[in-house]
Amino acid sequence: MELIQGNEACARGALAAGLKFFGGYPISPSSEIAEILSSRLPRAGGVFVQMEDEMASLGSVIGASLGGLRAMTATSGPGFTLMQEHLGYASLAEIPCVVIDVMRVGPSTGVPTAPSQGDVMQARWGSHGDRAALALAPASVAEVYDLTVQAFNIADRLRAPVVVMFDEVIGHMREGVELVPPRPEDIWRRPDPVGPPGSGHRAYAPNEEGVAQMPRFGDGYRFHVTGLFHDERGYPSTNAELVRQTLERLERKLAPVPFWLPPEKYRLGDASFVFVAYGAVSRVAREAVDRLREEGVAAGLYRPRVLWPVADAQLREDLAGAETVVVAELNRGQWVDVVARALPRSIRIVSHGKSGGEPVTTDELLAAAADLQPRSVKSS
Amino acid sequence: MLHDPLRVRLSGRGGQGIILAGTMLAEAAMEDGLYVVQTQTYGPEARLGASKAEVVISTREIAFPEVSVPDLVLCFSRDAYLKYGKQVTPEGFILLEETIRQELPDAKGHFLPFRRAARELGNELSLNVIALGALVALTGAVTRDSLRAALRARMKPEFLELNERALELGFELGGAVPQAV
Repeated sequence: MELIQGNEACARGALAAGLKFFGGYPISPSSEIAEILSSRLPRAGGVFVQMEDEMASLGSVIGASLGGLRAMTATSGPGFTLMQEHLGYASLAEIPCVVIDVMRVGPSTGVPTAPSQGDVMQARWGSHGDRAALALAPASVAEVYDLTVQAFNIADRLRAPVVVMFDEVIGHMREGVELVPPRPEDIWRRPDPVGPPGSGHRAYAPNEEGVAQMPRFGDGYRFHVTGLFHDERGYPSTNAELVRQTLERLERKLAPVPFWLPPEKYRLGDASFVFVAYGAVSRVAREAVDRLREEGVAAGLYRPRVLWPVADAQLREDLAGAETVVVAELNRGQWVDVVARALPRSIRIVSHGKSGGEPVTTDELLAAAADLQPRSVKSS
Repeated sequence: MLHDPLRVRLSGRGGQGIILAGTMLAEAAMEDGLYVVQTQTYGPEARLGASKAEVVISTREIAFPEVSVPDLVLCFSRDAYLKYGKQVTPEGFILLEETIRQELPDAKGHFLPFRRAARELGNELSLNVIALGALVALTGAVTRDSLRAALRARMKPEFLELNERALELGFELGGAVPQAV
């Protein structure tokens, strides 16, 4: 057992996953990630660059990834906003990379050191166009480590940018943990290019998972990388059918992720009163479930570990037995829209949002529950 | 245990080693075989401003990592006292740096001369370790041996000897006070 911080677990998870390039610009409350990697990454044979801003940070990460390295950056809300352009580029050009967003109170520079979950919708829609997005949400120091490793795996296998987002509470809290490094067989690789280099080479030809099979820059292949819609050689196209098919493929290839990293379902089996929560809020929601169960209320917790994409049908099935669903978040109500869209109208959906920079407490959730008068197990 | 969970809040000016003290207290509790979570709050400033570190120690897993009302408060500065140092549970205990009383005659709690002791030891930066030692001697929040081990694990070698003396001095300082908790 060792006592470590969420941000340190993130840096160590990245190193364990084989990180070889970090380009970033330090910002509270994510700075420890850059601080730790600035000393440890060079010793692990990697490259650490402090860039001039967050746009350049993700730009450098994209370049390193095209060269074949596992690459990432870490930031918070204001920097995440600046990275949206390059996130879109990485999505369309299919360049694997990992972006860590340790969330603080916004908008703008907001409250730099106070926790929030206010970037959830930005991770989905912050970059323009009908972009398919990937975002993971760990809820403990140990899970920050595990999901950072998984973020690299998913980024490489699906050739897509992966965002790992957690609130300042998770980033800065220290817990006693036992980190389990991934075994070599737990590390996923990028799809290999098909066929030899030559004029007929198609870098963007998808494999059976719908993922481009691109070579690394410098491997002798000739191909083109662009933020324009492109054909299988990478050259620009405005063909409407090609644009449609590409958008569909980029969305379809991400669909398995919520099944690879399934949600935590805590005492959900017979639950009629369900909390939906992620990150730090899910910790107190779990405690609230236990307290409500002691009072005879059939309470449960549904904790997504993948915020984007959403497996709508699965969410509907998982929460089919609920009468009341309380979506508790450290924002003014963001993921609640996902839940409301997925569930039938017969289920009562309540948003318990909190802003201001103070974390949600167990007592607040119990008070919210009391107001909603959930049916007890005994009377049902 | 005094209280389960035991919620401890350490506060002072940025740069006084509050977060390091919180980390050592947490590691000592872990060494004692307990569940522990440590968090910290600081302002946008790099130095000064009121800053706090909180440690929750329990025999069970800890859901809420922060402290709403602490059982134990340790506070080094006037500003931090005003912001974080006044509130405590009814059975709780507040331990304050003595000079706060000169600036705030109404401040309530037990006072000990941490700054003076640190100066006499030859390094004002050892204030956090002296105060942590006194808090542990007064309350038994963690065992002394675990805190000694945590100090050895966290301190850079060149500062270890000074801080080991600071910790023992803190134990003495706290131990000399009639039992508070």
